[in-house]
Amino acid sequence: MQLGATSLPDVPAETLAGLCPPRLTSEKIQERLSYIIEKDRIAGDLPRRFLEVFAAILQHTNYRQVIDNYARIPARCANCSCACQIYQRTNAPEDVPCYRSDLLLEVYRRHFTLRGIVEEHLRITPLLTDEYILEMAETYYHCTACRRCTLECPLGIDHGLVTHLARYVLSEIGLVPRALVISTRAQLEGPTRNTSAIPWPAIADSLEFLEEEIFDDKSIKVKFPIDKPDREFIFFAPVSDYLMEAETLMGIAVTLDAIGLGDAWTISSEFLDGINYGLFYSDWILERCLREEVDQAKRLRSQKILIGECGHASRSAKAFVKTFGGGRDAPPVVNIMELTHRAFKEGKIKFDPDVVTERVTYHDPCNLARSGWIVDQPRELIRAFCKDFVEMTPGGKWNLCCGGGGGTVSVDELRPYRTHVVGSKKAEQIAATGAHYVIAPCANCKKQLREVCQDNGLTDVEVVGLHDLIYKAIVLD
Amino acid sequence: MLESWIALARGPLLRLALFAMALGLLRHVLLQVWEIFWALRRAGDQVVPWGLALRRNLEWLLPWRYLQRKERRLYNFTSFIFHVGVIVVPVFLAGHVAIWQQELGISWWRLPGSVADWLAVATVVAAVGLLLGRMLNQASRTISKPQDWLLPLLCAVPFVTGFWVAHPSWSPLGLQAVYLVHLLSAELLILLVPFSKLVHMVLFWTSQTSSELGWRFPPGSGERVRLSLGKDSEGV
Repeated sequence: MQLGATSLPDVPAETLAGLCPPRLTSEKIQERLSYIIEKDRIAGDLPRRFLEVFAAILQHTNYRQVIDNYARIPARCANCSCACQIYQRTNAPEDVPCYRSDLLLEVYRRHFTLRGIVEEHLRITPLLTDEYILEMAETYYHCTACRRCTLECPLGIDHGLVTHLARYVLSEIGLVPRALVISTRAQLEGPTRNTSAIPWPAIADSLEFLEEEIFDDKSIKVKFPIDKPDREFIFFAPVSDYLMEAETLMGIAVTLDAIGLGDAWTISSEFLDGINYGLFYSDWILERCLREEVDQAKRLRSQKILIGECGHASRSAKAFVKTFGGGRDAPPVVNIMELTHRAFKEGKIKFDPDVVTERVTYHDPCNLARSGWIVDQPRELIRAFCKDFVEMTPGGKWNLCCGGGGGTVSVDELRPYRTHVVGSKKAEQIAATGAHYVIAPCANCKKQLREVCQDNGLTDVEVVGLHDLIYKAIVLD
Repeated sequence: MLESWIALARGPLLRLALFAMALGLLRHVLLQVWEIFWALRRAGDQVVPWGLALRRNLEWLLPWRYLQRKERRLYNFTSFIFHVGVIVVPVFLAGHVAIWQQELGISWWRLPGSVADWLAVATVVAAVGLLLGRMLNQASRTISKPQDWLLPLLCAVPFVTGFWVAHPSWSPLGLQAVYLVHLLSAELLILLVPFSKLVHMVLFWTSQTSSELGWRFPPGSGERVRLSLGKDSEGV
């Protein structure tokens, strides 16, 4: 199929072919960006549709004020390139954060500012072509939106925000990784209501099994509270915690029980998945996921939203529940590590320092640490049960991304890029610590770091969540 | 002949350039403030960390932030010196204050002549340093646009010629010719401010706030975008 042919039905096909610059066929797009699209979602003239969507987004959102600022002030000093682990690895100009952001900013300048519109008419070749849009689709998913570069921009440009907006525009014309769409569709519109499309009976079975496991390991009866009304916390974790990362979930349940909050939390059987891919590519999805969480909190009359070990689920809830959940009346958002840390400071939780004897290091998930929100809390907890804790450098606010941020970890086709390009510095960092355990309190980071270790020959490393080790080390009276 | 040109450059042209700059900058500021006001009105979460944004602005204005960096320390420090020069000399040089007094009717502190001399030299050196830094850094070099190369050069011209005006014995050209070049280059620069990246002199102050506000979404905006695109009945 020739792209664009459908939008001009009155002109004979041969004439049209002579008039138009050669367009990319959808097969060619498929070939180059096999993971990005679903075939039936690409239709019509890409540039025109891109501009329509961009215009609609600028009209209805708050992006215009910031994009207009960014379009005018960049000094192109390339300080951001020093902070970007991708550029540091590839040395390719298209990986300089400022260059990447400029792809979208240039579209804004050309089509949404007076000077740009004059320029666009004076030039023979238009800026926005199918090729240009595909370059954006490719490059904005090479960025992991870790936002490390924003710490280095003297002019305060948030390249993570530009990546988010560019992906949002692209997603509305159908250019979005298939993996993200399929997961989100299952979560918001499927019968299972979670990104992995696991039916509730399977999850319920799994929880029952975990209760038995806990009893076998710790000789205590801990119940996973399901659909209990009037609890203080309603709990959302990435759905993978319910099956693949069950140790994390067991650790959380045992910890909450030990600190006297066993009867203060609940899981909702209707919607339990904290994953929110909207943060990566669409405000529309972001809002829908968060509204589900707030609705469940209302349904079960919970006062607060508790998020498990997941970076983007935590950040999206922390930053946007207020926005979409009723402003000041919205339920407060707490991350499980904050809760455990507070209990630890109050002396409600004790650890046996002789259980975890291996060397441990801690990976900061970007979405928790970049803003300085959760940096010291997990470290204090780790030091309490582990004698051999080694920091990665740089860490904390200045951490390096695991390499799978911004949803890219879900895209299997990107694995070589994720583990050998973006994640290679992370592999070096981990190797330098000599640690056996890498604690990564984030489902995305955990999956990615396991692949990084596999692909970079770090065979002795075990990637775990924080509560996995707490589960081992906690002392129960 | 040159005298009438100088009179023109010193009087009407200077006034025109300054007026155009003021008008252009005012437009940018008003638009930006207007946009920020509306963004704030529409945001679902209206708590904006103004203090944090201001602190980040100030952090980047002071050199200690650059000196802590591991990479490109010299380049960033050069940039700091350059910015001090291009702000302080035009505004506080004794000869300039006299012009401001004549044109605007107000007067302020004057920079001692010897300090001005050194600062002018430092600014020119810094401008060359910035160009070198841009040239020698692969990332910066490849993403640079024409204005990134031309503006530091253009900034250096009024400083070099201004120095020659103050010290005619160093000048390779006659005083009047140098003075005319000084005036015209400065006016061109002033005129370009609203139309080039130099506009960051005013937009810099809101960029941190804008970034924070960019993440303050209006509730329902995603739905409205879908509606206006005629995609309201489509699923994910």
